[in-house]
Amino acid sequence: MTDLSKIRNFSIVAHIDHGKSTLADRLLEECKTVDKREMADQILDSMDLERERGITIKARAVRLDYHADDGEDYVLNLIDTPGHVDFNYEVSRSLSACEGAVLVVDASQGIEAQTLANTYLAIDNNLEVLPVINKIDLPAARPEEVKHEIEDVIGIPALDAPEISAKNGINIHAVLEMIVQGVPAPRGSREAPLQCLIFDSQYDSYRGAIVYLRVMQGVVRPGMDIRMMATGAVYKVVEVGYLHPFGMRPAEALGAGEVGYLTASIKTVSDTRVGDTITSVENPAPEALPGYKQAQPMVFSGVYPADGSKYGDLRDALEKLKLNDASMSYTQENSIALGFGFRCGFLGLLHMEIILERLEREYNLDLITTAPNVVYKITKTDGSVVDVYTPLNYPDPAEIEHAEEPYAKVNLIAPPEYVGAIMDLCTNRRGEFKDMQYLDPTRVELHYSMPLNEIIYDFFDALKSRTRGYGSLDYELEGYRPSKLVKLDILLNGEIVDALSFILFADNAYTRARKICEKLKENIPRQMFEIPVQAAIGGKIIARETIKALRKDVLAKCYGGDITRKKKLLEKQKEGKKRMRTFGTVSVPSEAFMAVLKLDEE
Amino acid sequence: MAILPVVETKKKTLGIYVHIPFCRSKCEYCDFYSIGGARNKDLMERYLDATVAHIRETAPAAPGYEVDTVYFGGGTPSFFGARGLSRLFAEIDRRFNVSRDAEVTFEANPDSVTLPMLMSLRRAGFNRISIGVQSDLDEQLKALGRPHNYKQAQQAVSLARRAGFDNVSVDLMFGLPNQSREQWMQTLRHVIDLKADHISCYGLKVEPGTKLYEYQNCANLPDDDAQADMYFYAVETLESFGYKQYEISNFAKDGYICRHNMKYWVGDEYLGFGPCAASDFAGKRFTIEADLEKYITGVMNKGVILSECETVPLRERAGEYLMLRLRTVDGVEEGEYTRSFLLPFKPIEKVLLDLQKQDLTVLSNGRWRLTPKGFMVSNSILVRLLDEQQRSKPLAQKR
Repeated sequence: MTDLSKIRNFSIVAHIDHGKSTLADRLLEECKTVDKREMADQILDSMDLERERGITIKARAVRLDYHADDGEDYVLNLIDTPGHVDFNYEVSRSLSACEGAVLVVDASQGIEAQTLANTYLAIDNNLEVLPVINKIDLPAARPEEVKHEIEDVIGIPALDAPEISAKNGINIHAVLEMIVQGVPAPRGSREAPLQCLIFDSQYDSYRGAIVYLRVMQGVVRPGMDIRMMATGAVYKVVEVGYLHPFGMRPAEALGAGEVGYLTASIKTVSDTRVGDTITSVENPAPEALPGYKQAQPMVFSGVYPADGSKYGDLRDALEKLKLNDASMSYTQENSIALGFGFRCGFLGLLHMEIILERLEREYNLDLITTAPNVVYKITKTDGSVVDVYTPLNYPDPAEIEHAEEPYAKVNLIAPPEYVGAIMDLCTNRRGEFKDMQYLDPTRVELHYSMPLNEIIYDFFDALKSRTRGYGSLDYELEGYRPSKLVKLDILLNGEIVDALSFILFADNAYTRARKICEKLKENIPRQMFEIPVQAAIGGKIIARETIKALRKDVLAKCYGGDITRKKKLLEKQKEGKKRMRTFGTVSVPSEAFMAVLKLDEE
Repeated sequence: MAILPVVETKKKTLGIYVHIPFCRSKCEYCDFYSIGGARNKDLMERYLDATVAHIRETAPAAPGYEVDTVYFGGGTPSFFGARGLSRLFAEIDRRFNVSRDAEVTFEANPDSVTLPMLMSLRRAGFNRISIGVQSDLDEQLKALGRPHNYKQAQQAVSLARRAGFDNVSVDLMFGLPNQSREQWMQTLRHVIDLKADHISCYGLKVEPGTKLYEYQNCANLPDDDAQADMYFYAVETLESFGYKQYEISNFAKDGYICRHNMKYWVGDEYLGFGPCAASDFAGKRFTIEADLEKYITGVMNKGVILSECETVPLRERAGEYLMLRLRTVDGVEEGEYTRSFLLPFKPIEKVLLDLQKQDLTVLSNGRWRLTPKGFMVSNSILVRLLDEQQRSKPLAQKR
């Protein structure tokens, strides 16, 4: 166990693309934790998906051994955080495992929305925020101005902030020194009853769930009986240890102030919930650490294998993913059009996209997903109340007494010049304006009450584009309110495709119906006959488009040398067709389902 | 083995294809293997020697075959010149058993034919010429990168007649950059006036690797609907002038169907010489690599010249039967199909029947064929048929 005074627990916060992950890489290198030759870019973002999208999805932690200029050896624990509103809760838990945060600000761009959002999140968690000016190698760098900006806007001292280039490895040493001097050493007593904060967990098929934790009080060691305070689950600790960049190193014990992992033959990660407190059975802590919430799926979508015979593979894949991601849920569902599949619950739209992409990539599945929806409460004429998770279960309109949909409290922060655009957007999305306040001359905060359904589509994207990336968003569920809802059905060639049905606010039905028909027309390839695309409420058609019959699909020339080539071409075309779903006689590519999900407003 | 072991009393016949990989210049749309540019006498000479040697070596592998069609394609055979073509044909004639009434074709571009040259080829045994006319509008020819104008094309046809060719074919293209439906109608009328015996009409296809591919998005190409209209107009017009459609892109006056090209579509055997030439011989399909230097050194040093070679299983032959036969107006027939491949025709027929409702297929005299409308979407149709075929179980073999 390391002496408390020699431990520094910190995280790095930044606006997207300001160089968070690159700086993390450099810190690892500078501490010789990683050999240059082992360096892949952005070590902490170990999922392919994270590297490609340049975002961090799972929280990670890594331990650095640093010999500081004062001659002492320090242990620096870097806890990386995800950076999206869907994962706000995970971010706040990761931050509460730290005492300090390194705030990376781009020397040319200065402060941006997420700089603020993340800094405030860090300050809310009582972290010491230490600014660093990155990308000083850029010609447009203006480090002095940016430092003043930080002092003025955020109100933290920044004039001595190190000026660095993470990309070129300039001045990284200064950052490490700053961490040693600026981040407070953790407090806590190793004699007190055990309190560990879970900030992440991961499933390993040999060892069960691996819990990533920060010990706040007490000591945890193998053989101890522990209890998860929220779930009540009890386990015997098998192993504890530290997190090194390329693996875990077992230790005899983890004491207050330390960051590491724990295994205890835990069968499922749903017993190791982020934010939960681990205590010992023998000498339990009187209360859990504050801030725990159970992750609640808010967005539901039908997920089906593009090839119906892959249902079993999809089930296995979901089971495995669920082991690693307690915030996702799934139940079996059948659709007339798509066959067997699952209704999956997600934290938000990004979470959904990520899960789907992981299913497709890591499990090599072709998927069809249906339009996401929230959970509606329907009171039937017989007085019973049903929760509707899927349009497939939407009751007959004649049986509905009244319907309710979930509303969310939405906080938006942006520079004042975008207030008009934001208000416009929120009004379009049925937002109810609550109030607005200036946080300082450059930032306005707006509060809205808005149907959750309007947020889950593409609200975040729309906000970003209307505020040039400066707008930030946070929302939490507020409760249910009565609403006028209808179920919209889509017909291809006169037949309802149940997988395309969805529930929406009645007044939006016409516009939405028209857009969907247009999108389907764009995304369903012309076929050998004309296909009407219709949208209907009840039996009434409210929109229609026509996909004209295919007129040309031919290889004009086919002589000796072309035959093999043409065979391959047809084979490819056949494969392409196989990946489409057939409804009656109409073949629909899975992209068409996806396109319907992304109905841009413009 | 031919696809159809139907007429077994007949002698085994063979088609020969020679690829001439030389052109004056590369056309914008062309993805055939050819070397463009000024005449390279030395290279042409080495190609000639290699091909002659290749023919000489290969001939003993085909005993008992009678060669009834020979086709020189390219590239631009006429640009290669009469002496070389005659020398190649003479070698074929000497080494193979070439029948008396064999069809001997060469392709020509209007800018590389002269009367003496045509006469010498006629004397050497060539009896069919296929002229690349492509369009009657000089600006279109220029946009395609064709090295000739329409006047030269007209002259080429008349020179061919004067040299004694009584089987003249012209090639046309539609769906060209900036081409309107009206222009195409005009082109067809003008070309019909040339009084050729055979006309090929190809819809322009933008192939990867061509110059056109790079700028296709700003080439103002007619869309699929316009191309379909142009095609149907051509079928109708040519028909009314006595050019009967016998394949998706080919039309002929009575008795002038190209026998060589038919071999490809009915699954007869053929041997190819020259880089990139393909063969279907003795149950195998093989292709020579599209690389002139490799071909020359390969032939001369007895090295490897093939880029691919496959023994085609019966099941796949069944697919080829549908894919190739349905290109022709002869189409497919139940007896032929079940006898040759021992597969049930019923699932195939079910699709064909279904498509008949939409006027895409037609059944006449017991044979199923595609209508012009069906030809134009033949890929989609084939995908459906091949899918059915793949799923069908072989019929029980009769003892």
